[in-house]
Amino acid sequence: MMDVGRHPKVELFTNSEVENVTGFVGNFNVTIRKKARYVDANECTACAECAKVCPVAVPDEYQQGFSSRKAIYMPFPQAVPSAYILNMDNCLGNNPIACGKCADVCEKHCINYDDQDELVNIEVGVVITATGMDVYDPTEYDEYGYTRFDNVITSMEFERLICAGGPTEGHFIRPSDRKIPQKIGFIQCVGSRSQDGRGNPYCSNICCMNTVKDTLLLCDHYPGVEAKVFYMDMRAFGKGFEDLYMRSKEEGVKYVRGIPGDVVEDPETRNLLLTVENTTTGKLEKHELEMLVLSQGVIPRQDGDSIRKLLTLSQTSDGFIMESHPKLKPVDAPTKGIFIAGCVESPKDVKDSVTQASAAAARASILLNAGKTKIEAITSQVDTELCNFCGICAKVCPYNAISASDRKAEKPPTIIAAACAGCGACAAECPQDAILMRHFRDEQIMAQVEALVKDDPEKHLLTFACNWCSYAGGDNAGTARLQYPTSSRLIRTMCSGRVDEKFVMHAFKMGAPMVLVSGCHFADCHYINAVHWTQKRMDRLWNKLDKLGIRVDRLQLEWISAAEGQKFAKVMRELEERVQTVTDEEIEHTKKVLAEEEAKAEAKKKKKAKAGAEVSA
Amino acid sequence: MALELKKPEKLRIGVFVCECGLNIAGTIDCSAVSEYSKTLEDVVCVVQNKYTCADPGQNEIKKAIVEHKLNRVVVASCTPKIHEPTFRQCVADAGLNPYLFEMVNLREHCSWVHQTEKEKATEKAKDLVRSGVARARFLEPQIEAEVPVTKAALVIGGGVAGIQAALDLADGGHKVFLVEKEPTIGGIMAALDKTYPTMDCSI
Amino acid sequence: MAPKQVRFKCLMCGHEYDGMYDHENVTERSCPKCRSNSIRRLPDAKVAKS
Ligand code: SF4
Ligand code: SF4
Ligand code: SF4
Ligand SMILES: [Zn+2]
Repeated sequence: MMDVGRHPKVELFTNSEVENVTGFVGNFNVTIRKKARYVDANECTACAECAKVCPVAVPDEYQQGFSSRKAIYMPFPQAVPSAYILNMDNCLGNNPIACGKCADVCEKHCINYDDQDELVNIEVGVVITATGMDVYDPTEYDEYGYTRFDNVITSMEFERLICAGGPTEGHFIRPSDRKIPQKIGFIQCVGSRSQDGRGNPYCSNICCMNTVKDTLLLCDHYPGVEAKVFYMDMRAFGKGFEDLYMRSKEEGVKYVRGIPGDVVEDPETRNLLLTVENTTTGKLEKHELEMLVLSQGVIPRQDGDSIRKLLTLSQTSDGFIMESHPKLKPVDAPTKGIFIAGCVESPKDVKDSVTQASAAAARASILLNAGKTKIEAITSQVDTELCNFCGICAKVCPYNAISASDRKAEKPPTIIAAACAGCGACAAECPQDAILMRHFRDEQIMAQVEALVKDDPEKHLLTFACNWCSYAGGDNAGTARLQYPTSSRLIRTMCSGRVDEKFVMHAFKMGAPMVLVSGCHFADCHYINAVHWTQKRMDRLWNKLDKLGIRVDRLQLEWISAAEGQKFAKVMRELEERVQTVTDEEIEHTKKVLAEEEAKAEAKKKKKAKAGAEVSA
Repeated sequence: MALELKKPEKLRIGVFVCECGLNIAGTIDCSAVSEYSKTLEDVVCVVQNKYTCADPGQNEIKKAIVEHKLNRVVVASCTPKIHEPTFRQCVADAGLNPYLFEMVNLREHCSWVHQTEKEKATEKAKDLVRSGVARARFLEPQIEAEVPVTKAALVIGGGVAGIQAALDLADGGHKVFLVEKEPTIGGIMAALDKTYPTMDCSI
Repeated sequence: MAPKQVRFKCLMCGHEYDGMYDHENVTERSCPKCRSNSIRRLPDAKVAKS
């Protein structure tokens, strides 16, 4: 910790948040909000005079509320930077008449009640996300009596009570009477591996070994202590872990296979009575304990959404961040130049976090050392011959990569290739078909539509899927071997925003019974908000179908994330059923109506061209 | 103008059908798919491989590009998310523009999800290859733009992972910006007394 | 265009419901009954008629 604070190459922004990220690999532009600290961190010598005079006392978060701190405080003695901070919510008022005691005593005058948030802009080539995790709050498990009984604590609270730097100076005492307990129990999997809707279904990975460690600490500090662990399965799979587990057993710690159904408090002794079915013996047991520790699980960061959206990261159904590939690219995010490390990806212990962080740093170094990188050639280009200067494309582009056209000056728009991310929304929205997407051209996609709707079109579901989410969701279904009907025929585009109206209409004209457009959930859109255009276009298409007397439900829309293999398979099953409801007559009717429409449009075009020719002649 | 890329002499498409061991061949009749591929427009060469992504498989592609003067390559194997870069590199090594390569997903999107419907899966596989070849006929060579990489990193989060990543990058000589929401770095780890497996202090 | 109340129809299960629509800031739609995303915003004229 100290090292990073001192490192000449590291610029530390504490009490700060990333407010905005724009740009692309190698060229990210980041805005950081340095929240007001009200204490000049460079000047502060951590002399503690200010805190001495501060009249406010609030529970100390770091000590899990076991002790109190002042409104001006240092989070913990080894904090980096080693400086005080003033919490304005706790302060009596930044009005010196109200208080102002701390500023009076600070000899270095580093306290400034009018301190303001500051925005800092930086440019970076790579981003590593290591936003961490939160711990599960076990209050929901009412039968364990957490918050109802003083002597039921969580594993995080345990850490502070056993710590020499903690509120009790390392004396492990129980809250009700400040006595050192002799009989201590631990309940595992609190909020983890849960099937009843409370907590989370996954294993939190660290709590088994954390409890083993806790029992060893207890045995070490208080020889003769009686510790009991109630568990479903003990998971001690890491290097050296089994040794620790065995040592704990040798020290006399009792491991009871079974999760208590009920905890009651003896009002007199404040001891806790547990009822548990020992699943090894099948017998109902009762245990009396003086103190109970709930081994709380790990949960995704509750405030992680804003960063996730800024970096267009996807999350799994658990809420942890999705990696680019679970085996082959475990620390890369799908977006180039962004990497992930630590518990933001999944619950893990210190060693695994460090390992993953080093891996992410090494992967990032590849780009930094190279000093340059290639951008996939999938950007857009304007055909100036076809453009009629309407200006729609410039409005559509989520990246502002298109400069406005000028109708009067007949100036077509220009596209800044470096800013274009290649979503293709502009190409799909351009009424003139004047935008060419490199590698995802209209002809290329139309050729796929024709090829897929050629044989037995009446049996197949034509699916458009976006590269990042729904296509990856299909991959996910495959990896999980989820079975679904064979009717789907899929075309991949980078973004659902690329799916032009004419692709869909052409499929129907060729005899497709149903078309599915699928893409990312709005929050996951890899092109900021290109997915909005998909939604608007779908409304337009449904209206069009309706007007032509074509059943609107033959065109479906689904948002499927990269982690939603289940949903992908489910959608395929449901739509297969719907395909069966489309009759041959319906398909014939559609083909006829659309062929007529096309003929009409052609005629109109010709007339216009003719009129144009006459005018110019 | 520059958009009008000239059409190549004559299209010569090579199709490479991958068995992926039994991952694909266990469900899909790969020989039938290969035979079918031969009937597709502009396809001049079809090769079936046990593992197209392995060295021997890649060598087959390179060899065929030279021997059959291929100017389009279609590989029908797994998801492009894993091996598209592999095969793009492979065709580039043989002198073909990487954007003249097209991938068809017979594994994640077909064999793995239709394991009990072998016939229908084979029909679907043929359709998918047909679509890939149809698209390949319209592919054009592309030149990738190169962009500079700013030699600085942003690390978000000052817990144990963020600290380690920042230190590694900084020790490697790179400028690092470490952003932490809380007034101090340290994260959850700083609140732990001792940590396993070494049972030593966390800070 | 200010946000306005519109009628949505699920094309999977047929469920109809009212909701807000903001042309400048379209939001994700999901059927309150069957969770499908095939939610059509019915044209105002059509709603008035029915
Ligand atoms: S690590 Fe152990 S206590 Fe934690 S959830 Fe997994 S099995 Fe349960
Ligand atoms: S949308 Fe099409 S026609 Fe309109 S300005 Fe852009 S390129 Fe030109
Ligand atoms: S493809 Fe997308 S990012 Fe590129 S210019 Fe068009 S709208 Fe903008
Ligand atoms: Zn519904």
